[in-house]
Amino acid sequence: MSHVIEMLGIRKEFPGIVANDNINLQVEEGEIHAILGENGAGKSTLMSILFGLYQADKGVIKVRGKEVSIKSPNDAFDLGIGMVHQHFQLVHNFTVAENIILGKEGGFVYDIKSASKKIKEISKRYGLEIEPDMVIEDITVGMQQRVEILKMLYRDADILIFDEPTAVLTPQEIDELMTIMKNLAAEGKSIILITHKLDEIKRVAKRCTIIRRGKFIGVVDVATTSVNEMAAMMVGRPVSFKVDKAPKTPGEAVLEVENLNVLNNKGVLGVKDFSLSVRRGEIVGIAGVDGNGQTELIEAITGLRKIQSGSIKFLGDDISSLSIKERNEKGLGHIPEDRQKRGLILSFPIASNMVIKDFDKAPFSKNGILDKDAIRKYSQEIVDKFDVRSGEGIDSLAGMLSGGNQQKAIIGREVTEDPDLLIAVQPTRGLDVGAIEFIHQAIVAQRDKGKAVLLVSFELDEIFNLSDRIAVINAGRLIDIVKTEDTDVHDVGLMMAGIKAEKKEENK
Amino acid sequence: MKNKSTKVINKPLQAKKVPSFLVSISAVILGVIAGSILILIIGKNPIVGFERLLFGAFSNKRRIGNTLSMSTQLILMGLSFSFAYKTGLFNIGGSGQMLMGGIVSTILGHYLPSSLPKPVYIVIVVIGALAIGGLWGLIAGFLKAKFNVHEVVSSIMLNWIAYWLVYDFIPRFVKDQAIAVKSKPLDFSRTLGLEWLRKATGMSTLNLGFLFAIIACVVIWFILEKTTLGFNLKAVGANKYCAEYAGIKIQKSIMISMAIAGALAGLAGLTYYCGYSNLMEMGKMPNEGFDGIAVALLGNCSPIGVFFAAIFFGALKMGKGSLAATGIPTELADTIIATIIYFTATSVIIASFWNKIYKKRYEKKKAKLEGEEKK
Amino acid sequence: MKKTIALALALLLCFSVFAQGAAETKTETPALKVGMVTDSGTIDDRSFNQGTFEGVKKAAEEFGLECTYLRPSGTTTTDYVTAITDLYDAGYRFIACPGFLFADAVAQVQAMYDDLMLVIIDDALSAGIGANSVAVVFKEHESGFLAGLATALKLEEGSVGFLGGMEIPSVQKFNWGFQQGVIYANENYGTKITMDPSNFVYSGSFADIALGQQIANTLFSKGVDAVFCAAGTTGVGGLNETKNRALSGENVWAVGVDVDQYYEGDLGNGKSCILTSAMKDVTGVAYDMVKAAVEGKFPGGTLLTLGVADDRAGIPASNPNLTPEIEAKVAEVAALIKAGTVVVRDNGAGLIK
Repeated sequence: MSHVIEMLGIRKEFPGIVANDNINLQVEEGEIHAILGENGAGKSTLMSILFGLYQADKGVIKVRGKEVSIKSPNDAFDLGIGMVHQHFQLVHNFTVAENIILGKEGGFVYDIKSASKKIKEISKRYGLEIEPDMVIEDITVGMQQRVEILKMLYRDADILIFDEPTAVLTPQEIDELMTIMKNLAAEGKSIILITHKLDEIKRVAKRCTIIRRGKFIGVVDVATTSVNEMAAMMVGRPVSFKVDKAPKTPGEAVLEVENLNVLNNKGVLGVKDFSLSVRRGEIVGIAGVDGNGQTELIEAITGLRKIQSGSIKFLGDDISSLSIKERNEKGLGHIPEDRQKRGLILSFPIASNMVIKDFDKAPFSKNGILDKDAIRKYSQEIVDKFDVRSGEGIDSLAGMLSGGNQQKAIIGREVTEDPDLLIAVQPTRGLDVGAIEFIHQAIVAQRDKGKAVLLVSFELDEIFNLSDRIAVINAGRLIDIVKTEDTDVHDVGLMMAGIKAEKKEENK
Repeated sequence: MKNKSTKVINKPLQAKKVPSFLVSISAVILGVIAGSILILIIGKNPIVGFERLLFGAFSNKRRIGNTLSMSTQLILMGLSFSFAYKTGLFNIGGSGQMLMGGIVSTILGHYLPSSLPKPVYIVIVVIGALAIGGLWGLIAGFLKAKFNVHEVVSSIMLNWIAYWLVYDFIPRFVKDQAIAVKSKPLDFSRTLGLEWLRKATGMSTLNLGFLFAIIACVVIWFILEKTTLGFNLKAVGANKYCAEYAGIKIQKSIMISMAIAGALAGLAGLTYYCGYSNLMEMGKMPNEGFDGIAVALLGNCSPIGVFFAAIFFGALKMGKGSLAATGIPTELADTIIATIIYFTATSVIIASFWNKIYKKRYEKKKAKLEGEEKK
Repeated sequence: MKKTIALALALLLCFSVFAQGAAETKTETPALKVGMVTDSGTIDDRSFNQGTFEGVKKAAEEFGLECTYLRPSGTTTTDYVTAITDLYDAGYRFIACPGFLFADAVAQVQAMYDDLMLVIIDDALSAGIGANSVAVVFKEHESGFLAGLATALKLEEGSVGFLGGMEIPSVQKFNWGFQQGVIYANENYGTKITMDPSNFVYSGSFADIALGQQIANTLFSKGVDAVFCAAGTTGVGGLNETKNRALSGENVWAVGVDVDQYYEGDLGNGKSCILTSAMKDVTGVAYDMVKAAVEGKFPGGTLLTLGVADDRAGIPASNPNLTPEIEAKVAEVAALIKAGTVVVRDNGAGLIK
C-alpha cells in the first residue's frame, strides 16, 4: 500500500531542547494512524511541522510520494491536509454554513446556497448529522467538533489530523466520533490521531507510532499489540493501569453534605439540593461533564465559596460557617482543580509551597519567626518521598517544574498532612501515564489507610479506576450514587447527560 | 539532579536569567548615557556636567549630609511602595500618608510641652507619625478588602483628603503669622535634627530620620524574609488564589499590608517635614509619593535595593542644582531622572535584552559542545 | 545580599568615573555673575519668575554679565538654600529670589555668605534684613486700586467679582485695593458698579487651573461682568473661562495680576479679554537691583516698599480695551496717589473680606 504521508528523519530543535530527534512517520492511504506519546514527547511539534506551523531543521516530508516543502498552513491545505484542533476555531453566533465558508468565500459574492448543498452532502455521506443552518452556540460540543471536521472535508482535505479530539467529549460523544472516524477511513480518507488514551487507539487505529522524549520508539500494529505493551513503549518501563485496590468495608461517615445549595459565578444556583456522604476507607468519585456544578460543590466544602442553604458536616460537626483555615486544621485536604492558580505559588520555591498551609505553626515558625531549617527539612522529605523532580531541589521555583512534578508536590503536601478527608479534583489532568500511575497509587493509599477520599474527574476511566462509589452530577443536581461494581461506563454516561438509570429500565 | 535528561525536558529554555541588580545598573547607566547625550546636544560637556552633579551631591560634609537627608524620605517612601507591592498592592497614596504623618508630627511638635525630654518627645512623634500614616493606609486597605474599591482609586482620593486637611490644619493649629501659607517653623530642638550631627556635617539637614530609615530597611527586610507575617503577605501578593486556598485571610492581609506601607510613608512625613524641613506648606502635594515608586522599581522592591536607589535619587536631586548652575537647564537634570525612571519602568525590556544575550551565549556554547562531540 | 553590595560598588564605580573630571579646577572669573532661583512655579510662568528673570537678563545683557536661573528640587527652605548655595558655589554673587516663599532661606543664607548680594521680592524679611540683602515689597493695594478704577470706568455699570488664590496679605491687598478703586469710580465718576460679597472668592490654591475655571464660570453665571483674577495658575483658569465666554460672544472681561497679562487673554483675532492688569513691576525692580550691584550702589540691608509713586506698581500704560479717555482718567488718579492726595488703604476695614 502506498504511503500518503512520509516524514523521514525529522529533527526539530528549540533552544535548550530537542523536540523531535530523527522521527519517522509513515501513514498509509485510508488508514487511521495513531501517534502516541506522553505530554511533551513531541507529538504536537511533529504535527505542527506537517501542518506548516514550524519548519523542520532536518528531514524530508513526502506527500503521496512527492517531496514537498510545507511553509504555512495554506501550503498544507493545498496538499489536502486538514487539522481538527483541540480548541475549536468557530464563530459562535454564525451558522454552520457561514463558519465553514469563512475565509473560503471564493469570490466577492459568496454563494451560501451551493455551500449549504455541499455541506448537506458531506454530512450525509459520513454520517455527521449536521445541518448547515444550525447556529454554533446552540449546538453541543460534540457537534461543534463535527463542524470542524466538516470544515476540513469541505475544503477537500483527504488527510485529517485530530489533535486529542476526545478530551472535551462525553462517552457517548466519543463513541459517535469513533464511528465517524471509521466512516472517514472507509471512504478513503487518511487519519492521523494524536492522543495519549490507549483505549481509543485500540478501538479505531490500525497502526500506532510511538514517540518518547522527542525520539522515535517504534511503529506497532494495534491489533496485535496489547495496551500494556504500548504503554510500556510510551513511558519506557512497564506500567499498570489497574490500580491495585483491595476491597474494603467503609467505616463511619467523614463528610456529610445535606441539601446543599450553592450559587455559581453567574449568581444562579450551581449546586442544587445536593446530598452526599463520604465514609472512611472509601473513594467517592463525582462523575460529570465539566461545568455541571463540580467546582461550586468542592469550593463550598473547602470554604472557598459561601453556601446558600443546607449543611456540610465533617466528622459530625457542621463546618459550613468555618473559615478555610479552620477546615484545613480540622483535617480537610484539598488537591485543587487548577494546580497553577490555586495549588501553588509559582514564584515561590518548592520549600515555601510545601508549608503554605502550616507556615504559621510549629515547627515551621515560632513566635512569628520562620524556622527555615525546619521548613527545608520537611519539604525535602516530601520531595524525596513523592519523587518531585526539579533543577534545584526544594529551592526551585514552583513555576519551573513540569506539570507532573507540580502535581506530585501538591499531592505530597496534602497527603503528608494525613487529612481525614482528601478532596482531589482532576488530580491527573494533563499528566502523562507515569505520573498518573503514581498519583493514583497515592490516592488509593489514603483510602487504604482508612481515610475518606472525594474524587472529581472528567475522565471516566479515572473515576471507574479509583472510586468505590460513583456520584453522577448533572446541572448541579445529584443524579444518582452507584457502587462502581454495579454500573458501567454506558450507564454513567447516560446519567452524566441527566438520564437516570431507572428511567432507562422503565423505557425498556 | 537525579536524572539529567528529565531535567532538560522539564525545563526548556533554561538559559541563565538576568539578576535584578544588573537590570537596575543597566537602567542607571542607560539613563546616564541618555542624559549625556542631552547635555551634548545643548553643546555642553557631559563630563563637566556630571562632575558638577557629583560636586553638588558629595563635594563637602554639608552636601553629603543634605544628600543623605534628602534620601531619607525617598528610602521610606520607596520601602512603603515596595512593601505594598510585594503584597500585590499598588500604594500610590504615599503622598497623602506622608502629609498626614507630617501634619501630625508638626502639630505634636508645637503642642507637646517643651519640658518633655527629647528622647521621649522623639518616641511620641515617631509613634504619632507611624500611627496616622498607618491609619491612612489602612483606610485604603479596608476599602479594598471590604468593598473591593481599587487601592489606586481610594488612595489617590485619600491623597486629596490629606491635602485639604493639611490645608485646613496649618492655619487652624500651627499658623505662621509672617507667612500665611506655611506652618510656624519648628524650633530646632523639636525637629529630628541633632545639634552635634548638624555641626559635624557643616550645618546640613542630616537628622535622626536617616537612622530611622536604616532601621526601617532592616525591619522590613526582617518582616519580609524571616517572619510568618511576611510570608503571609508575600503569598497574597504572589498568588492570592493560592493564599486563599491555603487558608490565609486575604482581606486581613491587604489591610495589614496597607497599614504598614502607610506607616512607613507617615514616618517619611515626619523625617521630611520635621527633619529635612522644619515646616509644612499649604497647597503642596509632596513629590516623594511618586519618587518613591521610581525608587522602589529601581531598587527592585528589596529593602537594600531601595536604600541604594534612594541615595542615588537623592544625589541626583541634590546635585542637579550645581549641574544647572553651569548653565545647563535644571529641567535637564529632571530629564535624566525621568529617563532613568523610564528605563527602570521598562526593565522588562532590559531584562529580556540581557536574557537574549545569555541565550545566545548558551546556544553558542551548546553548538560548540555538539560540534566537538561529532568530531 | 551579595547582589546589593555589588550594586553599591557599581554605583560607586560610576560615580568615581565622573569624579575624575572633578579634579580639573576652573579658574574663577572676577566678573559679577547674576542669578535667580525660581519659586514654586516655572521660569515661563508669565508672572513672578519670568518677570524677575527678564529684568535680571536685561541688565546682564546690558552690562555684559553671565546670568542664569535655577529651579530648586522642591519648595522647602532646604531646597531653596541648596539652590542658592549651588549658584554661590558656581561663582554667582548676585541672586534674586522672587517670592515670599524664600523668606526663611534668605534669612539663613545671608548669614552664611558676606559677599553674596541677595534680593528677595514680595517679602519684608521680618526676621531681619542682612547687610548684604535687600527686601522688596509692593503696595498691591495701589495697583489693585487703579485696576478697579479702570474696570469700573470701562464697564460704567454692571457687577465685578474677584478670584483669589490663598487668603494671604498680598492677595488680600490686591482685593481691597480693587474694591476701593471701584468705589472711587462710583463716587467720583458716576459709574454704577455693584459688588456682591458672594462674588469675592478665595480659591485656596495658586496651582489649580480647573478650579479657577470653575469659580470663574460660577461668577459669570451669576451675572458678573469682570473678574479680577489674582490667583497665579488658578487665575489662568479664570482667564481661560473668560476667553471661552468672550469667544462665544459674551461681553465679559478679566483683570490680570502681577504682570501685564494682556496676551494671556488673546482671543486669536488680535483682541484680548484682559481689560487691564494690576501689576507689580518685578522686571523693573530686578533690573534696578542688578544695575545698582554693578555700579556698586547695592542698597544692602534695606526694605524697599514700592508703589505707584515709584512707578513700580500700577496698571499697564496702555491697553487696547481701554479708551484713551479712561487711560487719561486713570493717569490723573495715579498722579493724585503719587501726590498723596488719594490714599489707598492696605486693610480691609469696611470692605468685602
